[in-house]
Amino acid sequence: MALIELTGVARRYDTAAGIVTALEGIDLRVDAGELVVVLGPSGCGKTTLLNLIGALDTPSEGTATVGGRELTASTRQDLFAYRRSTVSFVFQTFNLFPSLTALENVRFGADVAGRHDAPAIAREVLERVGLGQRLHHFPHQLSGGEQQRVAIARALATGNPILLADEPTGELDFHTGVQILALLQAQAIAGRAVVVVTHNREIARAADRVVELSGGQLLSDGPPEGGRVEASSLRW
Amino acid sequence: MGEVGLWLRWTWRDLSARWVQVAAIALIIALGSGVYAGMSSSAVWRRANYDASYAALQVHDVRVSLAEDTYVDAGTLRAAAGAVEHPELLAAVEERLIVGTQVDASTAEEQILVPGRIVGVDATGGGPMIDRLHVRAGRGLDGADGATAVLDDHFAEHYELPPTGTVAISGGTEVAYAGLGFTPEYFMIASDQGSFLAEAGFAVLFTSIEDAQELTGHAGEVNDLVVTLAEDADAAEAARELEVALTAALPDAALSVTSIDDDRLYRMMYDDIEGDQRLFNIFAVLIMAGAAFAAFNLTGRIVEAQRREIGIGMSLGVPRWRLAVRPLLVGVEIALVGVLLGIGVGLVVGRVLSAVSEEFIPLPIWDAPFLPMVFARGILLGLVLTVVATIYPVWRAVRVDPIDAIRTGPAAAHQSRLVQLVGRLPLPGTSVWQLPVRNVARSPRRTALTALGIAAAIATLVAVIGMVDSFLATVDRGEREILGDTPDRIDVRLDFFYLEGSEQVAAISAIDGVAAADTTLAVGGRLGSGDDAFDVYLGVMDLDSAVWHPTIDEGVVEADEPSIVISQKAAEDLGADAGEVVPFRYPVREGVGYRFVDGEVRVAGIHPNPYRFLAYLDRSHAGMLGLEGIINVVSVVPERGADTDALVRALFEQPGVASVEPVDAAAQRIRDLIGEMVDYLNVVRGAVLLLALLIAFNSSSISADERARDHATMFAFGLPTRAVLAVSVAESFLVGVLGTAIGVTSGLVLLRWLITVLLPGTMPELTIDVEVTTATLATAGILGIVAVSLAPLLTLRKLRHMDISSTLRVVE
Repeated sequence: MALIELTGVARRYDTAAGIVTALEGIDLRVDAGELVVVLGPSGCGKTTLLNLIGALDTPSEGTATVGGRELTASTRQDLFAYRRSTVSFVFQTFNLFPSLTALENVRFGADVAGRHDAPAIAREVLERVGLGQRLHHFPHQLSGGEQQRVAIARALATGNPILLADEPTGELDFHTGVQILALLQAQAIAGRAVVVVTHNREIARAADRVVELSGGQLLSDGPPEGGRVEASSLRW
Repeated sequence: MGEVGLWLRWTWRDLSARWVQVAAIALIIALGSGVYAGMSSSAVWRRANYDASYAALQVHDVRVSLAEDTYVDAGTLRAAAGAVEHPELLAAVEERLIVGTQVDASTAEEQILVPGRIVGVDATGGGPMIDRLHVRAGRGLDGADGATAVLDDHFAEHYELPPTGTVAISGGTEVAYAGLGFTPEYFMIASDQGSFLAEAGFAVLFTSIEDAQELTGHAGEVNDLVVTLAEDADAAEAARELEVALTAALPDAALSVTSIDDDRLYRMMYDDIEGDQRLFNIFAVLIMAGAAFAAFNLTGRIVEAQRREIGIGMSLGVPRWRLAVRPLLVGVEIALVGVLLGIGVGLVVGRVLSAVSEEFIPLPIWDAPFLPMVFARGILLGLVLTVVATIYPVWRAVRVDPIDAIRTGPAAAHQSRLVQLVGRLPLPGTSVWQLPVRNVARSPRRTALTALGIAAAIATLVAVIGMVDSFLATVDRGEREILGDTPDRIDVRLDFFYLEGSEQVAAISAIDGVAAADTTLAVGGRLGSGDDAFDVYLGVMDLDSAVWHPTIDEGVVEADEPSIVISQKAAEDLGADAGEVVPFRYPVREGVGYRFVDGEVRVAGIHPNPYRFLAYLDRSHAGMLGLEGIINVVSVVPERGADTDALVRALFEQPGVASVEPVDAAAQRIRDLIGEMVDYLNVVRGAVLLLALLIAFNSSSISADERARDHATMFAFGLPTRAVLAVSVAESFLVGVLGTAIGVTSGLVLLRWLITVLLPGTMPELTIDVEVTTATLATAGILGIVAVSLAPLLTLRKLRHMDISSTLRVVE
């Protein structure tokens, strides 16, 4: 069964300049264990698509069913609960809480998802992303790559089945970016549905599927050209 | 010009992007500079109004008063004054007849029976021409409608009496009054016992001198003379010559010659200006300090928000001083808006203070003009403080290396070791509930500035309301002491000195409803020497009386030596303890009057009454005054269940009775006085409340902006709005608790300083207990903690309409 299923989804914004269409006629299905990269130039609707899946925004048209929940028919409270239990985010600018340590930031993810023994989960997840020695460091004491790993750990600590990453390597150098992609690949292998939004075509090579957008419309949806490769073999 | 235009447009956009906070901070500055300007100008216009009012009513320069119950034939005083060595010193003289009486102004609803005074003046030709009558309602003494008097306006207003009517005086004589008004000596009402703002318990009737003679049974007699002097005449010299001339003309009459500067009320009115101004200045500076902290806080945060742009400028090689122009300009523009609004606030504060003052002392001339120089000072202070508040954060911002300024996210934040240590303290609860504590601990500078802004407002509030509490506690203490075990006691003041066994005293004791009675001789005296001397009201009485006697906290009254019981305040001012000898000026009987003798007396003990002027001498030592067996006050204790109103009326109708007053009426008069003072303090309280609320709102609004990314992240992870709001409320709560704790502590210190250092100079007559009630602390707590905590609720709409996605993607 698909974890994410969008059917005929459109998103239009009413602006002073008139109606702006960000997405139109999007049909998309993502299964558990899949790493899907949404590719496209700036302004093509990638982030809007991620926001619709993450219930940060609602479609103007069509249906979005995620984790068995019909988002368009959900109340505001339902959507809050959905975000706590179904999806978790990784952002380009990390968005860690500056006043919390790495461990506390990760624990936040476990806490809001209502997981028991949140401190132990946070510690374990941070060990998994290679930051076992940096538990008590504040974000400003960490490098960009370490901060993004904390952000991924925070998302993983929720235990939610869908991981949404918006340009997760945008702020990082190549070497660190590769480490992050390897982490995301590992999450898909572990059974999560991972959706990564990027404009970097090289990253798409590490995906199970590549969804290409242009002008708010889906241009293509299929495996990467030449097949999926390990993150470690990427170059950009 | 083009560059200036760019700066202006750019800073205008900065301001409009944060217009709510800018408006709030401008209002805070307006409040600070406006209250400062309004309050610091009050002394100038009060003095101007006093001068103008006294001048308009031709206040006397010198006054000659005969001793109590001493009268001479009309014309005698005038003639004696004409015999001065240099008659050209005197511009005009007028005789008067001033006689104490009881006034019954009872209405159908209320018994109004108070001591008072008939002031007979020269009403011929539209007079009096000296100490002119200012008529506030009805007509003056020039009518021909049969009415003979003008009733004191303060008294009439207090009891809401009509502008024309009838009152009864001692002996039951009815006097019709045709108007309400007062002369300069009654700009403020003082009772014979020395209490001020005594209009509730003291009534003055102004009549023609002839009517006064008829009403009081002193046909053809006068006892008072007022004099105005020629321009440039030396008042002291004129007073001396008058004393010489009058003493020569009336060798047997005790009299006093005083210049207007020696008049207790006149002096007090002007002294009061200085005292009030000192108090206002403190409050104004405190409010200004709160505004400055708030300005510093906001401008600092605006500069912080421009950190990255400053870094970009640095990396492009723009000189630091040019980078500083924009944020400085923002500070200057906010300050300008603030101080311009401050002019309006200052005028409003001035008007309100003027209205309160007019209510307090209804002078013929009351105006609170716009005083450009005073306001310019307030504006300048507001501008300078705000600009200085901007300079520091700008200086900090342009000093950093470009790489640090450009760096995004938390990497740009620096933390001291202490902050890191505090940040790592283990806390209970989930990470969500740890956030507020971590946020507060992580930004000590921001937390401190916000807390100090709140603290300044709370400190002012505690000091202002604490003063009211302290006054009321002092009144309570005085009231407890005066009421003693006989709180329903009635003091009957006689119209002259009587023998203790006289028939007048016996008649009073024999009235139905009187359970017990005792007598007192009440005379004036003066303790201390030189400029430090002060007047006392000496009660010569049985210090073991069952009716009432003062409590003696320290010392013992010895039977073998005259010694007096004085108040704690008097003892402190004299620097004397029980058993020590102090200088004492006291009356000694001489013929039918008395003269004052300078001598010494031992302090027998200290009584707890807070009023310095109250002193007591045991009647066994009345021989010191040559007044053994002489009394002029009878204290009466009603029988249980007796009708007090009926008893008061029965006492009033006795021959020889000048006034009848329940002892609790004196305490009530002081309560009225405090009530008037509270009106002044309410102006400050209103400003402080508004300031604290603005600081609270501004702080929350700024915090909401700064925490926007955190809030968006919480939303993205599914935290509901109420939980995000709760985190903000918790953070504000912590800052509020900190600010309130600092504010209450500072307020208590300030209050103690105000009362122990400032007030003794302003109100030397009182020992004021430093007291802050639970209600005051609760008010401070509600404002500083509850209001500040709840202020984030104002950001609910902003949170609910947050564009989460955009906020998350913002690069700092």
